[in-house]
This record gives sequence, C-alpha cells and structure tokens, in this order.
Amino acid sequence: MNLRFLPTALFLGAAITAAAQGYNLKAPFASKPAFLTSVGQSADTEMVKVLMDRAKLPFKADGKVKPADLAASGARTLVLAIGGSSKGLGAAGVSADAELERAKAVIAVARKQGMKIIGLHVGGDGRRGELSDKFIVAAVPQCDYVIVVASGNKDNLFNKLLAGKATLDTVDKITKAGEPLAKAFIN
Amino acid sequence: MKRTLTLVALLACATPLLLAQTPANLYGRSATGTHGVVAAAKPDASQVGVNILKAGGNAVDAAIATGFALGVLEPNATGIGGGGFMIVRLANMKEAVVIDFREIAPKASTPDMYKFDEKGNVIGNATNVGGLASGTPGEVAGLLYAFEHYGSGKISRAQMLQPAIDWATKGYKCTANMSSYIKDHFDTIKKFPACAAIYLNKDGLPIEPGEIIKNPDLARTLKLVAQKGRAAIYTGDIAKEIAAEVQKEGGLITVEDLANYKIEVRKPVMGTYRGYTIMSVPPASSGGTHLVELLNILENYDMKAIGFGTPAHAHLWSESLKLVFADRAKYMADTAFVKVPLAGLTSKPYAKMLSTKISMDKSMASVTAGDPSKYESGSTTSFSVMDSKGNMVAVTKTINDFFGSGVLIPGRGFIMNNEMDDFVARPGSANSVQAGKRPLSSISPTLVLDPQGRSFLTVGSPGGPRIWPTVAQIISNVIDYGMPLQDAIDAPRYFQMASGNLNVEGRVSLNTFNKLGPLGHTMTTRDDWDLYFGGAQAVMFDYKTKTLVGAADPRRDGQAAGF
Repeated sequence: MNLRFLPTALFLGAAITAAAQGYNLKAPFASKPAFLTSVGQSADTEMVKVLMDRAKLPFKADGKVKPADLAASGARTLVLAIGGSSKGLGAAGVSADAELERAKAVIAVARKQGMKIIGLHVGGDGRRGELSDKFIVAAVPQCDYVIVVASGNKDNLFNKLLAGKATLDTVDKITKAGEPLAKAFIN
Repeated sequence: MKRTLTLVALLACATPLLLAQTPANLYGRSATGTHGVVAAAKPDASQVGVNILKAGGNAVDAAIATGFALGVLEPNATGIGGGGFMIVRLANMKEAVVIDFREIAPKASTPDMYKFDEKGNVIGNATNVGGLASGTPGEVAGLLYAFEHYGSGKISRAQMLQPAIDWATKGYKCTANMSSYIKDHFDTIKKFPACAAIYLNKDGLPIEPGEIIKNPDLARTLKLVAQKGRAAIYTGDIAKEIAAEVQKEGGLITVEDLANYKIEVRKPVMGTYRGYTIMSVPPASSGGTHLVELLNILENYDMKAIGFGTPAHAHLWSESLKLVFADRAKYMADTAFVKVPLAGLTSKPYAKMLSTKISMDKSMASVTAGDPSKYESGSTTSFSVMDSKGNMVAVTKTINDFFGSGVLIPGRGFIMNNEMDDFVARPGSANSVQAGKRPLSSISPTLVLDPQGRSFLTVGSPGGPRIWPTVAQIISNVIDYGMPLQDAIDAPRYFQMASGNLNVEGRVSLNTFNKLGPLGHTMTTRDDWDLYFGGAQAVMFDYKTKTLVGAADPRRDGQAAGF
C-alpha cells in the first residue's frame, strides 16, 4: 500500500464512520495534542478527562490553566469542559467573575495560536441555570465544535449560541460523548 | 379488561413517582390521609412508611422504616455511616423527647489533628474527604433506640427493615437530581473504588437518570441489622471492617470508638410562637435554640400587616437572621464541653431586646466582623411522620456532604460520614475538635402544638446553616399567613448570615428585590427553586377536616404519601 495516501484514507474513513453514526461533525478537524481545561470549575472536567483517556487522546489537563501556560503547552487543540459549580469555584478559591475572565483569556490565547477549540457540556440540565449559563454563553460561541448531553440543551441554547457557525452534536449520555470527541481529532 | 385496569392502576400509581423525579416539578408533592402521612425526600421512602402504618405500626415505626429506606434510596445524603437528630412525641407523652445520634469525634482526635498549607487550607481536604473526615457514626444506634422505645411493638425489626433490604436488592431508578449529585461529587466518588463501583457505570462515569442503582452489599448489611440489632454495626466483623477501612484511608475510628458509641436522649428546646408551642433540638445542634430565638424576635412584629413577600418581610428576615447568627458564632457548641446560655438565647425578653436593634428603614452593617464557625453542608435529609392518634416524629439525618467522606466500607455498601468538617479545624474555638465531642450542627427537626395543645405540625429540612431559618420560614408561612402546607414549603425563601449578602430565591418578586437595595442590602440571587435553601418535609393535622396533610419539597425529590 502506498503510504502517501494513508492520512487521506484514514481521514475519509473517520469521516464516513462519523456520518454513519449520525453525527453532525462530518470530518475530523482537530490536531493533537490537546489541552483540557474547565470553564466554570465543575467536576465535569474530571468526566471529560475520563472520556479523553478512554479515547486514548494525547492531552494535558489543568482546570485552572493560565493563558501563558496554555500558550507554552504545545497543545494544538483546546478542549473546554463547560459548566459552573459553586462548590468547584469555592474549592478553587475563585469567584465566578474571575473564572469567566480566565476562561475568556485562555480562549483568546488559543485563538491567537491557531488552536482549534472543542467545547463539551456533559452535565445535562443539572449543569444549567444562572451560574452555568454565564459560562456557556461566554464559551460556546468561541468553539469550533460543541458536544452537549441532550438534557442540557432542552431550550436549544447551544444551537442559538452557535447559530450554525460551528458544528453541534448532541448525545443522550455522558458515556456517548467520547465517540464524537475522538472523531473530531485527526489521526 | 382486568389486565387493562391493572395497567391503568399501575400508571396512575407510577405517574406521581416519575413526575417527582423532575426537579421543581410541583405536581404530586403533597398527600393527605386520615390514618397517617409520611413526607420524605424520596417517594418510595414515604411509601415504605405508609406501608408500615398500614401494617399496624405507629408513627415511630413508620419513621424508622422510612429512615432505613432513605439510607438505600438517598445514600448520597444519609445512611448507616452517618448520624442525626430525631424528635418524637407520642400522643400520650407529656413532653417530646429528642434522640441525638450525632457522630462523635474518635477518641484519638485532637484539636490540632488537621494540618494547614500556607494559604490556610486544610492539607488534602482532610476534613472533607477520606478517613480523617469521619466521626463515629450513630445512625443505627439512634434509629433502633427510637424503634425499641417508642415504636408500637407490633412491628418486628425484620419487618421494619425488609423494605430497605428489598430496595437495596432490586435497585431503584437514578433520578435527575441523584445523577446531578453524583456528577457534582464525581471527583470524591472516583477516589474510592468501592464507592465508584456502585455510583459510577462500567465506563467510570456517573450513573445517568433512569439507570438502576443496586446495592446488594447494603442489603446484606441491613439483613444483619435485622438479625442482630445495633451489635451488627458496633461490634463484630462490621465494626472491625469500618475501623480498618477508615484507618486505611488515614482516619482514626477504632473498634473501641464504635463499641463505646452512645446516643443521647435529651429534653427538647421549648418555645412558643403566637400561642403555638415549638419543640425542637437542643445542642449539639444549634438549630432548635436559634429557631426559637428567631421566632421570638419575629413575634415582636405584626407579620400579617407586613405581608408575605414584601420588601419589609425580606428585610425583617434578613435583619433577624443577622442577629441570631451573631449569637450562634459566639455561643454555640456541644454543651457537654462548653457552657451555652440556652435559657437566655431562647427567652422572650432577650429577643425583645434584640428586636430593638432592627431598623425597618436601613439594613444593619455586619453584626460581627465575620463568622468564624464552620457550618455543615446542605447535603442532609429530613422527614416527618404523623398518625391519626397524633403521634409525631421529625427526623433529620445526614452523612454531611453528599457522599460523605467518599469512604465506602467494601462489601458492606454504606458510605462513611465527613462530619468532622462540622468542627472548627483549628484549636481555640468552642467548636474545635475534641475526643468524644459532637460537632456543632444546625439540624432542627421540629414539632409544633396548636394553641389547644394538640399535635399540629412536624417539620424539618436539610440545608446546613439554612436549616433552622428554613424551618422558621415554613412555620411563619403557616401560622402568620395561613398558607396551605405545600404552599408554605414552596414559597420563595431568604437566607442571611451575620454578615455578607442577603440570599434570595429567584422567585422573590421583582418589586421586592428592587426595593431591598435602597434599604442597604446586597443580594445574591439564587435559582428559582434552589436546593441551597433546603428540602423540607412536613406533616400537619387539619382539625377542621380531621385530615393529615403531608407536603414535600420540590427543590429535591420529596413526595409525601398517606392513607
């Protein structure tokens, strides 16, 4: 087999598989390695970490990463675990406003460095409400691809925020978010 | 035809249960009955209690069966590894009795047992997570004491425990609320493989709504309790396993701590509110004392004229709470170790004096520079039972935070508490750690008699320091505003500590909210139906209709049942 065509073959294979699974994302677009951080300091970051480990994605994780540290990380894709938690913010010793500023700054650095940004909202309707929505509204429009657990998008907030400018996939359980996440990455 | 009717009947029974799983769903929370009503944070647990009443048990039998069932159905909040407080008044008793089955600091505990980092945080979050967070549990000792001393004698221990055993064996559907609690505490649960094995799925991720949670290990443990009573937990193999696992995770509990665990039977804190008698829990809970103090302050005001939900109403609650919380920080602790001026705190003249500090035109600045006490989490459960004879029980019990310390005893199915976090982690406070001491609590299961001295209301709530303010607001809603019990529980709540923001539930009127700022308040707006403010369950006797009315909190999965 001519190895020159291997990346193309893998790309097409992944795209066809994704289409067959019924995802809106039709082709991988994100480069490795990734960097996982939190937007809102919820425990959802730990769940996304489990999903990324299971998908064998190469990544670093720091829920409180600073913009400069992200810039120096060598990551090519930023993965955001979106959703606010009073408990998590308290444990991290930061206010919601400070967390929002950090998240915006991290996203800005990722954009400046040409990283792709993938957002995950895996907390369902329990991770909605005034606090979480602040983070969702700030982060989701900045993403190239978003995966949401369906019960967190009953009001189609994610569709409205993306307004068709980026791809949105919906899964019914956290466990199922791993597959489209893995498929977003170029092998 | 018969099959169709059966199906319709099953659907009719199931609908309220399913609806109750939706947060803030207001349907089917209340229930009425002429024989007895149970109001618990899980519909299936309420039904367990009702079935015990139907089998001839009294309110205490029903409450204890409900309590054990909650340990299975709401294991995030309560269970064998925890403790709590209960208040019981049988119709033939002159005075209610309080059973204090709060956890106790192990014998090896010392005031300086926790270490701090340079930022002043407890190293390793050791007051919250892991073995060092656990006090010696009192749940089984307390529940069985009440069952043996105040039960009807018509229900055997095995009969009382069988519903809990059945639920642990066959499992139950994870509700949306339960799933969100697992997600919120994912990092704690996944640290402990035995806990993760029950509350995470095969992929190591949280159990989702609708999936089944089974706990056969807990079923076997409960069977042993049925056979051996409290000895099953406090001596023998399980005691050894508790000590071994807690110590493996860095904790101090020994088999001697377990063997020496003692409940305390106490006299209730007593007060009155507009002719109604209030009976609640004395220290080691601060709750009852401050509930009475708070109601005593409010009694100096014409609440009807002030009106429910008005700016003056919110302002008065805020100012009164500031004053009471200032006292809490200064005086409260376990009375076995510290002298607490209980008579003064609950006296009407003292409350009258405090009320003179309140201006209805201007919010007070912080009553103290800051409140040094630590306060327990809102991750508790409370339930109420009343039967047609007027026997009343209110129980509030907990493993402290949801999923407690995270340490689940392998092969036994129950989670150990993290109640040590309710102590002040440094030496020098009235509520500092001390061997054998009970950590300060706000738990306030409360009974109310009407002005004729008849059984009227049982009420309690989880919610950490919001517990007694929530209980007081429900009592005021019923007595001052004549609200039906479910409305009294549903009504939007306020919470204010000695300093800091006034917390208002999102459904507080916009006009009221806008007028609080000019009075000097800074508000934190919580969700419309926010668990932060507790999850109260209550039962009331309506003497006009000779009906018992139960009501449960839509902020959690509460639902009453009656017959």
